[in-house]
Amino acid sequence: MGDTATQQWHAVMAADDLWEGEMEAVDVEGTSVLLVNHDGDVFAYKNRCPHQEWPLNDGDLDEKELTCANHLWVFDVTTGKGLNPANCALIGYQCRVDDDGTILVNLG
Amino acid sequence: MSRFVLVGGGVATAATATGLREEGFDGGIVLVAAEPHLPYERPPLSKEYLAGTVDRPSFRANPEAWYADHDVELVLGTRVDELVPAEHRVRLSDGRSLGYDALVLGTGVRARTLDGFSGERVHALRTLADSERLRGRLTAGRHLVILGGGFIGCEVAAVAAGRGVRVTVFEPEPLPLGRVLGAEFGRAVVDIHAEQGVEFRTGQVVTAMTETSSGLALTTRDGGVVECDELLVGVGSVPNAELAAAAGLEVDRGILTDEFGRTSAPDVHAIGDVAVRHHPEHGGPVRVEHHDTAVKHGRHTARVLLGHAEPFTEQHFFWSSQYDHMIQSLGRIDGEGETVIRGSVEDRSFTRFSLVDGRIAGMVALDRPRDLLATRKVMAVPHRVTADQLADDDFPLKSLLPKAGARRSEARR
Repeated sequence: MGDTATQQWHAVMAADDLWEGEMEAVDVEGTSVLLVNHDGDVFAYKNRCPHQEWPLNDGDLDEKELTCANHLWVFDVTTGKGLNPANCALIGYQCRVDDDGTILVNLG
Repeated sequence: MSRFVLVGGGVATAATATGLREEGFDGGIVLVAAEPHLPYERPPLSKEYLAGTVDRPSFRANPEAWYADHDVELVLGTRVDELVPAEHRVRLSDGRSLGYDALVLGTGVRARTLDGFSGERVHALRTLADSERLRGRLTAGRHLVILGGGFIGCEVAAVAAGRGVRVTVFEPEPLPLGRVLGAEFGRAVVDIHAEQGVEFRTGQVVTAMTETSSGLALTTRDGGVVECDELLVGVGSVPNAELAAAAGLEVDRGILTDEFGRTSAPDVHAIGDVAVRHHPEHGGPVRVEHHDTAVKHGRHTARVLLGHAEPFTEQHFFWSSQYDHMIQSLGRIDGEGETVIRGSVEDRSFTRFSLVDGRIAGMVALDRPRDLLATRKVMAVPHRVTADQLADDDFPLKSLLPKAGARRSEARR
């Protein structure tokens, strides 16, 4: 893409509102984005399981492991990679927390 | 260098191959499959693939390139005709003879057929070819009759109805899925299908079939005649255990194994639908035809082959999707213990638990994924729960976990 117009950062929520070990779905310009706080690091993914598009915020987060509620597919939230099965991955977005504690997401 | 031979083209053997390479096994792996396809997942055959909403590559066990990249030799469209355990050797239908250090049988099951029910308009649903053939006949306005209101019958009924096909399901029992899932589920399934125009004829049996100039004429036990264009026979399955039986392995409605997946023959293992495995938590032999269990058997056997032997104690998990409804089940639902309903049967959002000695032994849920996720964790740890607690929708299942109470500590457990 490379187009600067698409390289947009969106303020989505305050980092203080996303506890460690918690996840939350937010809407970014019509796209449902899953935010995950693991040990203080925030990650952003498309809020759909790559298997059959089930919303991941329905699932269960236990340490690094996110389990989709549909068919119990498991992902590592720190890498987005599938753990079971291993031959799949979450779609990740760039994500950062700015100086005033706001989580920013770039759909890129 | 050792060579492992895997027999079967489903997810079980594919998972063994994957597991072996992930754990660093660098010997030879040969995967022999009777179907001419790369190993694939079967759940979509009666759901998304039949409906035409997913394509074939999306439900392969591994992408095509994976096998070459990981030095796994595929021998597709080929059967194993003979197994000689004493010689550690199999003979293939292409005439080849293959020696093995370990053999893994994941030969699966085939659809059970009914005498007198065969022909150009009669279908089974087990393979890719079956699914593609049936899909070609699901044209709006046609009439499909399904013999058997099990999971295959119900799922195909949902897809067919969605394509505008008129569907009639004959189920000899009073309710579809009732014996497996209980009466509440059976009634809900009938109602859900009825709303989509699917007719269930429960307690009724089709006894004969004749071909007419334009279709099929079916005779029911009470003497009625039903005409249709296509017929699906969905009356269960038969384990593909003949190869093992002929080789002298212990077979009883499947290939018998211990809790490590080992058969009665040295270095021969059995996994997936064909395996009757001793399950420590069930205290006896269990055979299930669940996708998830097949994958887990496959992974487990890879570890056993590499010497990391631990008994297989995984809870069984399966799902069924019909229309926009989801049935999910975990653990034992074989009628053991006390039955407790949580949620609302009327609203079709409920979970049926089996409670044994104050422990959840199993559950099946209709559109309650959160109950499934919570129960999965609870069942993995020691817990005590009462029927009243389980039945109370305001009682959080996660409070049964250690360190319950604090949401935060629970999530970080």
